[in-house]
Amino acid sequence: MIVPFGHVLILAGAVFLIGAVCTMAHRNLIMILVGVEIMLNAAGLAFVAGSLHWWRLDGQAFVIFIMAAAASEVAVGLALFVYSERRTGSMDADDYDVLKG
Amino acid sequence: MSGFNPYSVIFYGLGLIVLASSLLAVTRRNPVHAVMYLIASFLGTAAIFYLLGAPLLAALEAILYAGAFMVLFLFIIMTVKPEAEGKRGRARARRWLLPAALAGVSLFLVLILVGADPGGRTLLPAAMAQPAAFGRVLFERYWFSIEVASFLLFVALVGALYLGRRMEDPTEPTVGGER
Amino acid sequence: MRATLILILLFPLAGAMINVLAGRYISRRLSATVACGAVLGALIMALFGAAAGTSHQPVDVYRWIAVGEFQASMSLLFDATAALMALVVTFVSFIIHVYSAAFMRDDEGYVRYFVYLNLFVFAMLVVALADNLVFVYLGWEGVGFCSYALIGFWYGDARNVSAGRKAFLLTRIGDVAFGVALALCFLWYQSFSISNITTHTQDLTIGMATLLGLLFLWAALGKSAQLPLSVWLPDAMAGPTPVSALIHAATMVAAGAYLLIRMFPVLSLSPAVLLAAAVIGAVTALYSALAALAQTDIKRILAYSTVSQVAYMFLAVGAGDIVGGMFLLISHAFFKALLFLAAGCVIQALADEHDIFRMGNLKKYLPGVYWLFLIGVLCLSAFPLIGGFFSKDRILLALFIHPEPIYKLLWLMGFIGALLTPLYAMRLFFIVFSDRPEGGRKSEVKPIPKLMVLVLWPLAVLALFDGLLNLPFGPGKRWLAHYMSSVPGAIVDLGASSAMSWALGLLDSILVLVVIAGSYFLFRTPQKTQRGSWVHRLLFSGFHLDRLYDRVLVVPYQAISKFLWVQVDAGGLDRGVEAGAGTIASFSVVLNLWNTGRLSTYLITFFLGFVALLYFLVLVWLGL
Repeated sequence: MIVPFGHVLILAGAVFLIGAVCTMAHRNLIMILVGVEIMLNAAGLAFVAGSLHWWRLDGQAFVIFIMAAAASEVAVGLALFVYSERRTGSMDADDYDVLKG
Repeated sequence: MSGFNPYSVIFYGLGLIVLASSLLAVTRRNPVHAVMYLIASFLGTAAIFYLLGAPLLAALEAILYAGAFMVLFLFIIMTVKPEAEGKRGRARARRWLLPAALAGVSLFLVLILVGADPGGRTLLPAAMAQPAAFGRVLFERYWFSIEVASFLLFVALVGALYLGRRMEDPTEPTVGGER
Repeated sequence: MRATLILILLFPLAGAMINVLAGRYISRRLSATVACGAVLGALIMALFGAAAGTSHQPVDVYRWIAVGEFQASMSLLFDATAALMALVVTFVSFIIHVYSAAFMRDDEGYVRYFVYLNLFVFAMLVVALADNLVFVYLGWEGVGFCSYALIGFWYGDARNVSAGRKAFLLTRIGDVAFGVALALCFLWYQSFSISNITTHTQDLTIGMATLLGLLFLWAALGKSAQLPLSVWLPDAMAGPTPVSALIHAATMVAAGAYLLIRMFPVLSLSPAVLLAAAVIGAVTALYSALAALAQTDIKRILAYSTVSQVAYMFLAVGAGDIVGGMFLLISHAFFKALLFLAAGCVIQALADEHDIFRMGNLKKYLPGVYWLFLIGVLCLSAFPLIGGFFSKDRILLALFIHPEPIYKLLWLMGFIGALLTPLYAMRLFFIVFSDRPEGGRKSEVKPIPKLMVLVLWPLAVLALFDGLLNLPFGPGKRWLAHYMSSVPGAIVDLGASSAMSWALGLLDSILVLVVIAGSYFLFRTPQKTQRGSWVHRLLFSGFHLDRLYDRVLVVPYQAISKFLWVQVDAGGLDRGVEAGAGTIASFSVVLNLWNTGRLSTYLITFFLGFVALLYFLVLVWLGL
């Protein structure tokens, strides 16, 4: 017996919200991507807890896929970051406001 | 808090580490510092995975997240050298107000939700998923998703290669402009 | 018979349509020929119809409107009055059309003129012949419109346009009463047919008859330019002279009296209505005769004279003598048209001069016109034994022998008017034509087409001898009255003792001769009256009626209108709508602050949605 299921979920939720705040509040593009990573990780934690609670391995399998998605997202995201930094010289997300209407 | 057995102590300690390091990572101005704290957070999460009976995932978490992603982040940070968000610091606190408030409200709601569910009170059993069994489930039931995920990684590779190539005529950089 | 009647109406309408469609492409001569030919065709058809005999049965032409009980078919009633009216209208119109072909020869709007003129003849014939009151209303409005179009024919000058508008507005005020009368007829009779209504007057109560009569009287007042709606006719002289001759002398202004004559059985049920008609007639006759004495424009004198003569027709109706009214209508059509057309000759000869004090010495330069004008003026003055003498005599006799004592007063007013008439008429004649040193010189007199003078002679002959229509003695005694005897309400013999009628006739003749002789001496050497004297100003402006209306009606109306426009519409409504639009616009501006284009804003918005979802999830989960 470890902990009640709800506690793990609360932990996962809290970490997820921390990641959300990081994404929303930072202007630096790198920090936004960091926030996304935190959120993905928290989701994975919730899945593992669920897998243990319901005694099925499918939850853990899904974490594999989360990691795959996170990997591709980090790769492309950072490539985009490098590309746009080269094009515009700015790493401030607030400077990319061409869609302002 | 029912039961102060050793597993729960370990869990709460690790949870504290994860939370604290995540918070610290988020509040750093220097991205390198943030990435460091984040590595700690991921390692803590890996340990929690092991506690919750997913040894393979714990290993993967440590290898991939902490070992690959964060290293990649560091590479890019070192290459591009973003300036720390020191400028315009006075308005910095104001930017955090709304997201923090929203997050607080969400946390409160999540607490209500989790507290209201009777299923959340059952204790998680201590178990360990055998890697062989896990591998069988993965490749028997989700082989198609494995293929798709590998294709996804391939696409990401190609994309990253294309986006990262050197241009022949670098044009004058303009803020907010794009091609 | 039906075909003949339909053709009477169709000829002028077809003429108008041809000129509308093809007038631009055909020569002027052909246009005029089409127009004159159309009216000639109508005249011939009217002659055929009259020769074939009149009847009291309405002839259905076309099933126009039929909605449930509301039947307004285009039906015609060709009884004696209609036959007479049709003949007069078509004949005089024909003469005027031929005259116009020469008069308007230099005008740019030649074809447009003939279109309107033909259209007018069509509408007037509808009024003359129609049996169904709604059909009459169609013609009524039609003549009103054509009158408006023709008064303002030279629309380049804004004064002409406003004269036309004035005419239209004032007759419109009368037409409102016509519309109400139509509704009442339908309510009471479920039918609009004149023949039906006039033969079923026993179904009417006195109150209803009075109401209907007053409404028709008001409508007639507008069209015939009687008081209080008379102010448009003097200004209507802004139109071309043949138009004044046709519309404002011979036909349209007589339409009001004609309507009353047609609806006489209804009116005769109510002595109050008849008295009202007679009083209005008497007052208007005196008023306009006095006003005519002070005018200086040749056409305005004739206009006021028309008002006065039509007033006599109203007097006739008021006295109960529709034969006399019809008689005067016919005579008046002839001599007034003659006078107007002759005046048109003078005006054109003197290069558009209207002021009589700038004319003179015209006997030697325009001899034909001189004699024609003289004939017309003598007929107008009721010179004994010619022209209007017998008609006026009969009307005055009818007034005198009327049982009600008040009619004696009305007779007196009519009599005085009958003496003023030769006064202003001869004044006009002498001032225009007499020899005086400062009058016209040969160099100022332009030649006018012979046709214009020639075509007036038939009219002059008819004007001179139309007394023969209804002589009170002799072999053709009271021919007109007998002809009209089948019309409901017509009295053949007034029933006066022959002694009285001879006495009155003699009195009338003597006094008229005296006035004519007196005016010869008065006006042989004309001097313009001092402009300053208040009597002159009173008479010249038509008793300041225009100013009165302006002060009492027009100015307050314009003030209200301006208030409603500036305060209510522009201030209130427009500003309200703009304020509404403004609030939406500012709301939009506020909302646009959300649109920063920054990623963080949108992420926060996403998260906001997420929080909302969570919240609802909580609500659902907790069963709230």
